Amino acid sequence: MSDSRATIAFVGTPNCGKSSLFNALTGMRQKVGNFPGVTVAPKASYVGDERNGRRLLDLPGIYSLAPKTNDEQLTIAALKGEQSNLPRPDAVLFVIDGSNLEKSLFLYAQFARLGLPTLLAVTMIDAVKAGGGALDDIALERALGLKVKCVVGHKGVGLPDVRASLLNSDDFTVPPADGIPGDDIDAQFSWARKIAARVARSSGPDKRSRAIDRYVLHPFIGPAIFTLVMLLFFQSIFTWATPLMDGIESLMGQLAVLVEYGVAPGLLQNFLTKGIIGGVGSVLVFLPQILILYLFITLLEDFGYLARAAFLVDRLMGVFGLQGRSFIPLLGSYACAIPGIMSARIIPSEKDRLTTILIAPLMTCSARLPVYVLLIAAFVPDRLVAGLLSLQGIILLALYVLAALAGLLIARILKSTLLRGDSLPFLLELPPYRRPSLRNVGLAMMQRAGEFLRSAGTIILAMSIALWALSEYPRADQLAAVDSIEAESLQLEESALGSIGKLIQPLFEPIGFDWKVSIGVLGSFAAREVFVSVMGQMYSVDVSESDESLRTVLQRSISLPAALSILAFYVFALQCMSTIAVMRRETSSWKWPIFAFAYTFVLAYGAAWATYTICSALI
Amino acid sequence: MTSLPTGQRFRVCGYSRHNSFTERLREMGLTRGAQFTVVRKAPFNGPVEIQIDNSTLVVRGADTALMLIEPA
Repeated sequence: MSDSRATIAFVGTPNCGKSSLFNALTGMRQKVGNFPGVTVAPKASYVGDERNGRRLLDLPGIYSLAPKTNDEQLTIAALKGEQSNLPRPDAVLFVIDGSNLEKSLFLYAQFARLGLPTLLAVTMIDAVKAGGGALDDIALERALGLKVKCVVGHKGVGLPDVRASLLNSDDFTVPPADGIPGDDIDAQFSWARKIAARVARSSGPDKRSRAIDRYVLHPFIGPAIFTLVMLLFFQSIFTWATPLMDGIESLMGQLAVLVEYGVAPGLLQNFLTKGIIGGVGSVLVFLPQILILYLFITLLEDFGYLARAAFLVDRLMGVFGLQGRSFIPLLGSYACAIPGIMSARIIPSEKDRLTTILIAPLMTCSARLPVYVLLIAAFVPDRLVAGLLSLQGIILLALYVLAALAGLLIARILKSTLLRGDSLPFLLELPPYRRPSLRNVGLAMMQRAGEFLRSAGTIILAMSIALWALSEYPRADQLAAVDSIEAESLQLEESALGSIGKLIQPLFEPIGFDWKVSIGVLGSFAAREVFVSVMGQMYSVDVSESDESLRTVLQRSISLPAALSILAFYVFALQCMSTIAVMRRETSSWKWPIFAFAYTFVLAYGAAWATYTICSALI
Repeated sequence: MTSLPTGQRFRVCGYSRHNSFTERLREMGLTRGAQFTVVRKAPFNGPVEIQIDNSTLVVRGADTALMLIEPA
């Protein structure tokens, strides 16, 4: 790295508030969460100016200098200067969790001997005070022989002070190691407890969390709450998003009308209405749902519920050969498999980690949502069951549950065949409950919305344009002979796209896909949402002529067994190039992504075939 | 661990064998002589929640078989 600015690494125990502080200091949008292991990759940012600036590095949290997981390994290697892609830090901001001094000081006992110039920052002081405890930072300074700064990252208290210190090398000193026991963990922990008792009056375990956990982790009430949370989650996706979706839909309709007025009929008008609005617009409609999904997951995470959920489901996961820790990456995969697969780094056992990565694509990510919602809205009647739950919401939940069960079964099979071996033990820390920060939740949603819009603006736009061109050329003959609607569908059939569709359609014939759907499925191997835009383009012929939405057109054009078959296919198929790329990176080989792609395809095809055959026989 | 009554305090006397997991348990504070409380147990022999210092930990009962404990 040609950068001459000194690097300061942020080091601390998991969930001690490093990332919150890092974000508050740099204004960066590093994802923060309330469970250990949110930061699984290092993040860099800068403070100060060119002349007197520092490069800040947020590293994954560690419990000790003896790594047990991949993310800990990374931090420790970086601190020792053994991580090839990271510079050895010139100094360290050691973050101490004020509400859990013993653990932080134990890590400090091991860390001090690395001999890196260090400044201490104590976080969570607000929680200590709220619980009736106290912490004497002057006494801590004296006990450790280092400068100590107290901060409340999310409230901004103490930040200017820390920022000034970061730019002042004099505030960083090499920790005096005298008095700190060497190699022995028991002795180091006794030392940590002694110092903690000297400098602070413990407020004890967080009383509010205790009180909440009495219900949330209750043997009967706990699972009931868990089920309720999950149910609410899926209901909200449908009910809350509908008005917003209708709004976007009508906006797109007006835009199309505007183009039809403003642009002379011909190729350009056709390109704008069918290629752009029909393709990209039909995907944009699903933005509200994706935002609600992220809102929910981020809230649960910030609140501290995810770790509790891991506790609640550990027994169930054990049945499938996994452990509660796998639940966190898997739930994350419901938003998107990519961060989910990355957060599998918190799993200590390599075989468990691989298993989790391989089944992560089966967890229903938000990209499937547009496909599900479109087909469910078209084919499942909008009515209430038991006067309360929407039938559409129930079907959606069923698809999610189906995929999750299949994933767990696959995990079971993998763990007893390819990835056989003892699971490492399950050990998880339950963080105290915290009030979700609106800023953090907002940032997570904005980030995801940005990614979604970017994908709509790039990959989906490119696919839309390509599909539009393929559908308009070569021009069909005898267009003049028939009326305009017939001419358009004739054009589509005789176009290059029509030929491709008909060419591959035999492959999908047994599962009930016609050639139009086949093209949609083919296109969605780039990204799942493409399916919706393809359908939007293919059927925009009819849509622009009448006042119908894509939903009603699909109702007429696709049979119910075929629609269910498409749903079954999307539940299992791994249609996402980015996921395959990140799997390749996280497993350092092509073997696993190819395996994942192959097994999910077989599953998808098999499930679609069974669905189609059974439904055709029944209906 | 799963047979321990909840709400009671115990002391860690040591470990019958050492491996990387017992090392992690000690790094989380379950060192010789340390006292912890069993807070609750998940049903069907599920994980056990314990309180040590200011940390709340969740472990599977079977995984802590190497830990030797006595009532505090």
